[in-house]
Amino acid sequence: MSGRVIVITSGKGGVGKTTASANIGVALAATGSSVALLDMDIGLRNLDILMGLENRVVYNLVDVIEERCKLRQALVKDKRLPNLCLLPAAQTRDKTAVNADQMKALCGELKELFDYVVVDSPAGIETGFQNAVAGAEEAVVITTPEMSAVRDADRIIGLLEARKDEIQQYRLVLNRIRPSMVKSNDMMSVEDVLEILSVKLLGVVPEDEQIIVSTNKGEPVAGTDNTRSGLAFRNIARRLKGEDVPLMDLDALNNTWLTKVVNFFAPVRA
Amino acid sequence: MQVLNWFLRRKDESVRTKARDRMRLMLIHDRLELPADRLASLEEELIAVVGRYFEIDRETTRFDLQQYERRAALIANFPLLRSKV
Repeated sequence: MSGRVIVITSGKGGVGKTTASANIGVALAATGSSVALLDMDIGLRNLDILMGLENRVVYNLVDVIEERCKLRQALVKDKRLPNLCLLPAAQTRDKTAVNADQMKALCGELKELFDYVVVDSPAGIETGFQNAVAGAEEAVVITTPEMSAVRDADRIIGLLEARKDEIQQYRLVLNRIRPSMVKSNDMMSVEDVLEILSVKLLGVVPEDEQIIVSTNKGEPVAGTDNTRSGLAFRNIARRLKGEDVPLMDLDALNNTWLTKVVNFFAPVRA
Repeated sequence: MQVLNWFLRRKDESVRTKARDRMRLMLIHDRLELPADRLASLEEELIAVVGRYFEIDRETTRFDLQQYERRAALIANFPLLRSKV
C-alpha cells in the first residue's frame, strides 16, 4: 500500500490547524480509509487532547525516531474508529529533536501502513514547519479571513511553491467564516481571500461554538452528525478523496430567528 | 443624522473593501520584498526622465502595482501634454 501524506499548515498560530487535522483525520477515517494522524508540534503537543486520547499516550514520535520503541507501539488507536491512529508529539523535547530526513523516512513507513497520513504542522516557518512538510506530497493551507492570518498564509504558500518538486498540490481551507459579518461588509468574503491569495479552495468552515464543546469533550465535530463545522470537515474529506462536493450555503447559516425556525424543521443543508 | 451617517458609511467605505485593498497592497509588497518608500522613489526618477522629453500631466498620472494571480505588474500611465524642444 502507498498512502497519501497530507500536511496541514498555516504559518500563524491559533487559526485552527490542530482542529482541522483532527477533524480531517476523523472524517477520512469515517469514510472507511485507514488514517494516521501525526502531531509534529513537538514540545507543544495538543492533537491528543482534541482526539480525547491524552490518557493513552505511552510513546511518542521522538521515541520512534530515536528507536526507543517500534512504530506500532507508539500508535494510539482512536476510541471510536478502529482504522484511525494517532502518533503523538513529544511534549518535553523541541523542534530540533527531529530532522527532515528522519521525517521523510517516518512518513515513508506510515504510508505503507495507512491510506492517509495527516501531518499537523506547528505554527511558524522555521525548523518545525520545514520538518512537517518534509515527508508530504500534498498540503492543506488553513487560514481565517483576518488580515494577519491571510498574510501568514501567503508566506506559507510562497514556501510551498518553492518546494514544487515535493509538494505536488496545495489547497486552502478558510476557517471560522462568519456569514453575517461578511453580509454586513465587516469582513473579507471567501471570494476576496481566494482572489488575493490566488489559490485553489478545498473548503470553507463556518465559525461554530460547537468546536469548543467538542475540544472539551475530546470528540472532534466531524464524528457527530449535527454540527455545521462537522459537516464542513466531512465535505473537505470527501473533496480530498476526489469527490465533487458543492460548497455549503453560508447564507443559510445566518443565525436569524427565521433561519433558526427553518433549520429546526429542515435537515442540515450541505 | 447619526442614522444617515451609519447608512453612508456602510455604502461608501465598507470595512470589507478596506481590508481587501490593504491586504492586496501588503501582499504585493511582501512578495516582492519591496520596502514601503521604494515605489515612490522609482516614480520620482521615472517622471524626471520622461519629464526631460515631455511635459507630463501630473494631475492624471497613474503609477501603481497590480496583482495578476500571484505576480505583480507595474502600471505606469503618464499622460503627455506636449514634447519639450
